[in-house]
Amino acid sequence: MTGYIIRRLFQLLPVLLIASVGIWAMIYAVPGTPIGAIVGENGTQEQIQAAIERLGLDQPVLVQFWNWFRNAILGDFGFSTQSRQPVLDIIVQRIPATVQLGTGAILIGLILGIPVAIISAVYPGSWIDRSLSGWSALALGVPTFWLGILLILLFSVHLSWLPSASGYVSFWENPLLAIRNTFLPALTLGVYVSGIFARFLRASLLSELKADYVRTARSKGLKERDVIGRHVLRNALLPFVTVVGLMAAAFIGGTVVTEAVFTYPGIGRLLIQAISTRDYPLIQGVILFILVVHVLINLLVDVLYAYIDPRIDYS
Amino acid sequence: MSDGMRRALGFVRRVLQRKGALLSVLFLATVTTVAIFARWIVPYDPVAQDLISTLEPPSARHWFGADELGRDILSRVIYGARTSLITAAGAVTIAGLVGVPIGLVAGFFGGWRDAVLMRIVDVLVSLPGILLAMALIAVLGRSQLAALVAVGITGIPSFARITRAQVLSLRKRDFVMAVEALGGSSTYNMFTTVLPNSWSPILVQVVILSAVAILLEAALAFLGIGIPPPTPSWGEMLRTGKSYLYEAPYYAVLPGIVLTLTILSLDTLGRTLALVLEDRHEVTEEEAEPDRSAA
Amino acid sequence: MSEPVLSVRGLAVTFVGGGRPVPAVRGIDFDVYANEVLGIVGESGSGKSVTSLAITGLLPETAQLQGSVRLSDVEVTTADPEILRQMRGQDVGMIFQDPTTTLNPVLPIGRQVTEGQVAHGQIPAQRARERGIELLREVDIPDPEGRVSQYPHQFSGGMRQRAVIAMAMAGRPRLIIADEPTTALDVTVQAQVLSVLAKRQADTGAAVILITHDLGVIAEVAHRVAVMYGGRIVESGPVAEIFKRPQHPYTVGLLQSLPRIDSVDERLVPIPGQPPNPARLPKGCTFHPRCPIGRDRPRCQTEDPPLSEVGPSHRSACHYADEVAKLFADAMPQGRAAATVAQAAALAVEAPLLTVDGLKVYFPIKAGLLRRRVGWVRAVDGVSLSVRAGETVGLVGESGCGKTTTGRAIMGLIKATGGSVSFAGQEITSLGLGELRKVRRHMQYIFQDPYSSLNPIKTVGDIVAEPLRIHGLYDEKGGAARISELFELVGLSRTVIGRYPREFSGGQRQRIGIARALALQPKLLILDEPVAALDVSIQAQVINLLQDLQKELGLAYLFIAHDLSVVRHISDRVAVMYLGRIVEESEKTTLYEQPTHPYTQSLLSAVPIPDPDAREARRRIVLEGDIPNPAKPPSGCYFHPRCFKATARCAVEEPSFAPYPGLPTRSACHYAGPLAVVGRQHEAAS
Repeated sequence: MTGYIIRRLFQLLPVLLIASVGIWAMIYAVPGTPIGAIVGENGTQEQIQAAIERLGLDQPVLVQFWNWFRNAILGDFGFSTQSRQPVLDIIVQRIPATVQLGTGAILIGLILGIPVAIISAVYPGSWIDRSLSGWSALALGVPTFWLGILLILLFSVHLSWLPSASGYVSFWENPLLAIRNTFLPALTLGVYVSGIFARFLRASLLSELKADYVRTARSKGLKERDVIGRHVLRNALLPFVTVVGLMAAAFIGGTVVTEAVFTYPGIGRLLIQAISTRDYPLIQGVILFILVVHVLINLLVDVLYAYIDPRIDYS
Repeated sequence: MSDGMRRALGFVRRVLQRKGALLSVLFLATVTTVAIFARWIVPYDPVAQDLISTLEPPSARHWFGADELGRDILSRVIYGARTSLITAAGAVTIAGLVGVPIGLVAGFFGGWRDAVLMRIVDVLVSLPGILLAMALIAVLGRSQLAALVAVGITGIPSFARITRAQVLSLRKRDFVMAVEALGGSSTYNMFTTVLPNSWSPILVQVVILSAVAILLEAALAFLGIGIPPPTPSWGEMLRTGKSYLYEAPYYAVLPGIVLTLTILSLDTLGRTLALVLEDRHEVTEEEAEPDRSAA
Repeated sequence: MSEPVLSVRGLAVTFVGGGRPVPAVRGIDFDVYANEVLGIVGESGSGKSVTSLAITGLLPETAQLQGSVRLSDVEVTTADPEILRQMRGQDVGMIFQDPTTTLNPVLPIGRQVTEGQVAHGQIPAQRARERGIELLREVDIPDPEGRVSQYPHQFSGGMRQRAVIAMAMAGRPRLIIADEPTTALDVTVQAQVLSVLAKRQADTGAAVILITHDLGVIAEVAHRVAVMYGGRIVESGPVAEIFKRPQHPYTVGLLQSLPRIDSVDERLVPIPGQPPNPARLPKGCTFHPRCPIGRDRPRCQTEDPPLSEVGPSHRSACHYADEVAKLFADAMPQGRAAATVAQAAALAVEAPLLTVDGLKVYFPIKAGLLRRRVGWVRAVDGVSLSVRAGETVGLVGESGCGKTTTGRAIMGLIKATGGSVSFAGQEITSLGLGELRKVRRHMQYIFQDPYSSLNPIKTVGDIVAEPLRIHGLYDEKGGAARISELFELVGLSRTVIGRYPREFSGGQRQRIGIARALALQPKLLILDEPVAALDVSIQAQVINLLQDLQKELGLAYLFIAHDLSVVRHISDRVAVMYLGRIVEESEKTTLYEQPTHPYTQSLLSAVPIPDPDAREARRRIVLEGDIPNPAKPPSGCYFHPRCFKATARCAVEEPSFAPYPGLPTRSACHYAGPLAVVGRQHEAAS
């Protein structure tokens, strides 16, 4: 298994390498000089000089890339042009908030989505299936940011139960206050996650229910509950896990948007702030960070798939 | 009437027999018509400020109310449809024109061409779509064209992958090998046998990706990095409307309804197309790749 | 006689939902007793599989049932789901067609085999593993202790089907329903599975319903037979009666359209037309449109005959059952074998049209980080054969032996790794694509699956015209007139030219494929299992068409197939392939009557013969084990691990493919020779 993971990691290297070249090249493509991009528009002469020397902008392009890349691997993305703090520190500060939001959303998504998928796959075409499918279409189709606005209107403006703008409070320090702050954003994103489960898990359950081995299981006299729980669900997870991998991108995108709606202090909001202030070292750092996280999620999905499916030989 | 036309009409009829698809088509047709003839339909100039009407609630004068500068929200929603549809059409065209040939060549020839092309696609999807678009806009600056190109580039991978998957499954079918056995060249086979049999999943993808593009454009505008004001955009309206939730809740709600209905209609239409086409060819719901980048 | 285990009366199944109701089964009666095998035979759409699902209550909700099915005191048609569930696994066990899909890929075999018993509380869950080992041992799976925790993909096809048998029999049900249990298996594996099934049936005394389209299997295994057609039983009786004195014209048609491995080369008599579509059944007797007796008789066109007694426990549903005996006698074989031999001898003088010499096709196995090549799959490993003008050479072997790859490599559709292929004296493996395209005008390929070999979005007229258009010969060869001519040549009306492939049945599509191949007036056709996907009655039509075309156009055929009976029927010479190599090649009659290679001998002995008398008379060699992985072929002679003749020499020394003295045969065996001698040697050795 370890060998399999290492092999998959190695296969990811070219993609990561090319993508990081793209991210590095960003500042060179920006209108104006890279110095302006790195130091900020109102940098002093000394700052500009310091940046030129630090970044070795007088050196050949390849050397410049190598220096940047080496530093990036070591976690050194340079300094934010706005706050003058190391980019890595800023990112690390924001991680717990985003993790808490994401975990909450996935929990809500599972709770809402899995029963919906199973019920509608077991009674396909029934009124309950049709209304649940309507739910999944809605959950996937309603833009996250608009749903967030509607939830704010209901829970904050109308009912005044929850704050319209959320701060970050760690769940481990003050669970009640944390839930109060994180619930609305997590629900917003969780509805979307539940849509993924409801639609795609239902689809793979339905196609598995048509498989021959289901008939075999029934012909043995198994209870329908066991036919689905023991035979169908496990097989249906396989195509579904692949979908989860594909949807990871949408989930990360959704996190960024949700954080913007609730001015929630996570990674996504950090990126938006960085873009609006043209803080290029920070933009590069955050994007590279998200890229690595996304690629790792996909790796995790692959490993999970190999773990569930005995046919995959990962030795 | 030619046989091909009769088959096409039969197909359209089978799609429209489903109530959801019929409603979706009607709604999309309305939005498109209104967007095309916006100039003659709008009650007010969408950028004309009228400070007396600032944040006026919906009334006979302003059906959707007026915004913080007293501009008519309905007129801005109508022009916003124009922005959305132009972005979607342009983006899907870019994505299709680049993505379909990539998938076709990669799937048909395999080998090193497949490896190289699909690695490029892998790089494009290594970043979630909305972040890729954000990064591109960070470089290109904010403009309608930048938004269109950025959204288009994020759509390339889905076209490439869908086409490649279809071509790969066709490559295994005997009738493609039969053309080779008859002495047909690779080019002949690719363009007269494989490509014409690949349209169904591509068509479905066009519809689904239109929804994704509209969503993505709105999301970028909502984040304040989409098409710059004063051009009306649904996402931009929601962004501003969010600041007036207490004073003017309709401001963020009404444009959102139109946006959501547009996306839901395209999504419903796309899935119905996939279902109806599945009866003829083997396009399944899972094949319509669920790459929906914005949220 | 004692009480029947299963008693079916007036069973009718109608599928509703989605347009008008479709009657799949239309009123059938039968009983099955303990210790007996009832064979139900019929073509696709005859309702035989629906019947089996109705008996176990596994039909989908869109099916409406009428009549009565009594199984061990349970009335299945009205029982509530919990009673049915109790019944399944305890009173009735099922074996399905394709063992690759009937087993759950993500659960260990042992668990799947025993979970029925655990669910019914027959054994405690802790004892499941032990019981699993016991069950696998009972169906002769080697190393059951190790195998019990393996997954289905680690089992070969034959082992999987044996595991399915173990599963069906686990709870010692009184009735076993086997629905096409060997259709997906190779002939040597089929022999293994049938003998395991027979053994387990004898052990448990269960009643068995064996559903199949294969009359050979029926003749080998069944005691009584029911023939189904258009949703009804049209004839039933003891197996010997059905095969010797059929009383229904459809049964006669089936028997006559079947190529037989044990008989001389009479022309097949196909049943004309298509099996009926259950949604559009003909009025009156459903068989009358295809019936030589009733086609024009008003009574057959209006009145559906009841199933009535025609002899001791022999029943037939025909108004004119008394005329059937004459029909059967009239079509008795008239020898043509002598002529064929003479013809073959005459042909032998000519220079071959196609010569294949030492053809090799290896596929690389890539593994590891850098996808480096770590080995080869030797799909074709040194095949030599030749085909002369106007001659048919049969290339026969089990799945995975490389026969299809050989055909495709000859055609240049797969690149050969080594060896040479020359066509009309010209070496073609080294040709560039453009040159190869020119040669392909003279050799054409027919594919196995008629459903996938025609482009679904072109009209069949365009499909047949495509080769002419590709080579820019459409106008030169006569355009539309030529296309009409081709359609008539293969027995299709020219009025169908504007239609699309999906509007045609399998047999018609195969005709279209043949018309397309003939458009360029080739000299050689490579036919890859051209009739394997077709029903028996349709198969005979296509075989006859191929023979007529050969005579008319002087075509040479390389006929690739797994069905030894079909190959014997159509070929002049036959080559037998095993694991990428030809092990024996000879003139047809010699090969079938006097095989010299142990593999050919085993293969021939494993083919079920549609003649119940042959059941006792023959000695069957049941091969052990499965076909080895072509990536890791055995040392020496590839066949030695399964061979009943193998000695230490066979494991080290590769036999040469050498002429066998006294026969027109080449054989790749150190101990080539007739079977009788072999048997004694083998017995002496053991």
